[in-house]
Amino acid sequence: MTLTLMPPVVSEGPALTELRLQVRAFLDEQIADGRFVSHVDTWLTRWDRDFTRELGRRGWLGMTIPPEYGGHGRTFLERFVVTEELLVVGAPVAAQWIADRQIGPSLLRYGTQEQKQAYLPGIARGEVVFGIGMSEPDSGSDLASVRTRGERVEGGWRVTGTKVWTSGAHEADAFFALARTAPLDPAHRHEGLSQFIVDLHAPGIEIRPIISMGGDHHFNEVHLGGVFIPDDRVLGEVGEGWRQVTSELGYERSGPERFLSTYQLLAEAASAMGEGRLPQDVGLGRQVARVAALHQLSFAVSTALEAHADADTAAAVVKVLGTSTEGDIADYVDMLTATGWVEDEDLYRLLHAAIIQRPGFTLRGGTNEILRGVIARGLGLR
Amino acid sequence: MSARLDPRLAASTAADADLVAMLTELFEDYRTERPAPREVVDLDPDLWQQLDQLGLTRLTAPESSGGSGASWFDGAALLGLAAAAGAPAPLLEHGFLAAWLLDEAGLPNDGALRTVCRPDPAGTALNVTYGRDASGVVTLFEDGEQWRVADVPAGRATIRQGRNLAGEPCDTVEFDLDDLSAGALVTSEVGEQFHLRGALARSAQVCGGLERIVQVVVAHVREREQFGRPIGRFQAVQRLVADIAAEASLARAATDTAVARAAASDWADPGLLFAVGVAKSCTGHAASVVVRNAHQALGAIGTTLEHELHVLTKPVLARRSEFGSIHEWDETLTRLATSAGHERLWSLITTGRAGPHH
Repeated sequence: MTLTLMPPVVSEGPALTELRLQVRAFLDEQIADGRFVSHVDTWLTRWDRDFTRELGRRGWLGMTIPPEYGGHGRTFLERFVVTEELLVVGAPVAAQWIADRQIGPSLLRYGTQEQKQAYLPGIARGEVVFGIGMSEPDSGSDLASVRTRGERVEGGWRVTGTKVWTSGAHEADAFFALARTAPLDPAHRHEGLSQFIVDLHAPGIEIRPIISMGGDHHFNEVHLGGVFIPDDRVLGEVGEGWRQVTSELGYERSGPERFLSTYQLLAEAASAMGEGRLPQDVGLGRQVARVAALHQLSFAVSTALEAHADADTAAAVVKVLGTSTEGDIADYVDMLTATGWVEDEDLYRLLHAAIIQRPGFTLRGGTNEILRGVIARGLGLR
Repeated sequence: MSARLDPRLAASTAADADLVAMLTELFEDYRTERPAPREVVDLDPDLWQQLDQLGLTRLTAPESSGGSGASWFDGAALLGLAAAAGAPAPLLEHGFLAAWLLDEAGLPNDGALRTVCRPDPAGTALNVTYGRDASGVVTLFEDGEQWRVADVPAGRATIRQGRNLAGEPCDTVEFDLDDLSAGALVTSEVGEQFHLRGALARSAQVCGGLERIVQVVVAHVREREQFGRPIGRFQAVQRLVADIAAEASLARAATDTAVARAAASDWADPGLLFAVGVAKSCTGHAASVVVRNAHQALGAIGTTLEHELHVLTKPVLARRSEFGSIHEWDETLTRLATSAGHERLWSLITTGRAGPHH
């Protein structure tokens, strides 16, 4: 219709359905063999480098990377169904997530030939683990205010500053750091930023844990104490960091991880309600409907991105709706349960974790407040 | 974009572009020239005649029985655009249900305006939209174990006039049981499909209404100034508008998905019960947010009779509850989800069918 915020929905073709069933059969085997225990929010919280390497062996990492860089030359739609299948079973995918989702595509778009050859084959094999260094102690939603600075030195840059919320930095090999490489011009705040590829084992790097409210260690503060970055580890163009960072947001914001973080809890609640362990309540059907519609909406955005259409606003819509829904599922199931945990029951294990993880859903990758601003801009309000 | 899709990966669900362009223009014209809003809505005979001449009153009915033989993609576009214009026309009743039932029953269709209903065992049907305007009422009657379709001339039924929330003709019709029992036999699938077709067609109408409401709200908040600037510049207002755009988008995705399943399988896909349920649930809940936020954003101006907003919000609310309340559909989805259980829920969500147990 004349409201053109979103791309039209598309039907999944037979090749994708076949791929889904292949991945599903593999995952069923893995679960039956006790290779992993399903959980919520596994793309942040569950690391298993062996599992990640196994996915690499099967060709399910770096799927969109061309074969000359060790990838598989497949489409974003094929990657979409693989990631959906991994997320719905609650598989341990955190080790691969950042590299597979955004580092690979960014390197392909902005990296030098040498950088692509250095990192992409390892990403596709599941051997190279990446993090992201964007936020800082005083720069959250206002990303252009980052204070980490790169100073020109002979043969490269000396980078100094502190990044926060870098998930998995303590396990990762490298990260992309956004830094200011030219003085802030208040009239053009998005200029003068650059991206560096930083080896997290380099001298001058200090990684400190940030313990989450459930007691787990996923996030880190990464201190860069005058770390030397050679010229060949600048990503893309010096001064183009803002455009480079924001150009990949469509993929980062519209994927299935934005509505499936609590899927395991929803599925377990369906069983529990069917077996009389939870009271009958029509709210379950409502949540299932939203997840089903989000699955279609997210796939539609992937299709648009595959066709190189601009989908920033559409991706923001998926993320606002999806992260709200996955959080609402946690709260919904909580309201159906009486007090008192039964710790060895899956329902409570998943519910407990979902409640603890929930606040992060609508914060990470752009808060929903920022995203509503993006939608409002898409509608011409600002 | 659709031209670049590889059909092995993804198939387009779009309506015919020329038809959509024609419909957009037609209903834009109607919207800009229609009479001022009143508290009641009556059939516009001139509009109906125009739609009929263009082959739109029976768009999805087969050509062999006098229809235009278009797909449900096209049909959903028609229903949505007509609803967005607040066009008072029984397109759903006449073109999507009555014509289909007559065709299924092998009964002739002269194209004269008909409405449709499911009378209770006593022969009474409530909430028959446009009952008073129809030359005949097509009935779907559960006669013991059997389903029968009859084409009852209006003169043989007693019509008590009423109005629904939207002020549309919404009548109580009493039939002679003999007329209903004399109908042609149809299969029980026809009885089940009637509910699904009606529910999905109403969802398509609600989506069209929601999208027009978003447009009205966006135009208003960009224009209306307070504190020296358009109110759309305020974050609090942006939040209202962003949320209704998002909800309307989710409703659209859910509805188009069900339409695609219906069109691709000619209504034979066993996953349609789930898909239509998702459409009804998402459009119904979206309507709550959209109507509330739209009225909030438009202020007192939007509550007046002369304003366009109620021409859209009232039908959205009236229609979302037809062919099964939102609660009833949420209940159906809950039943499907609990019987699928943990292992098969994802199959239900992606295909509409839970599939076999592992």
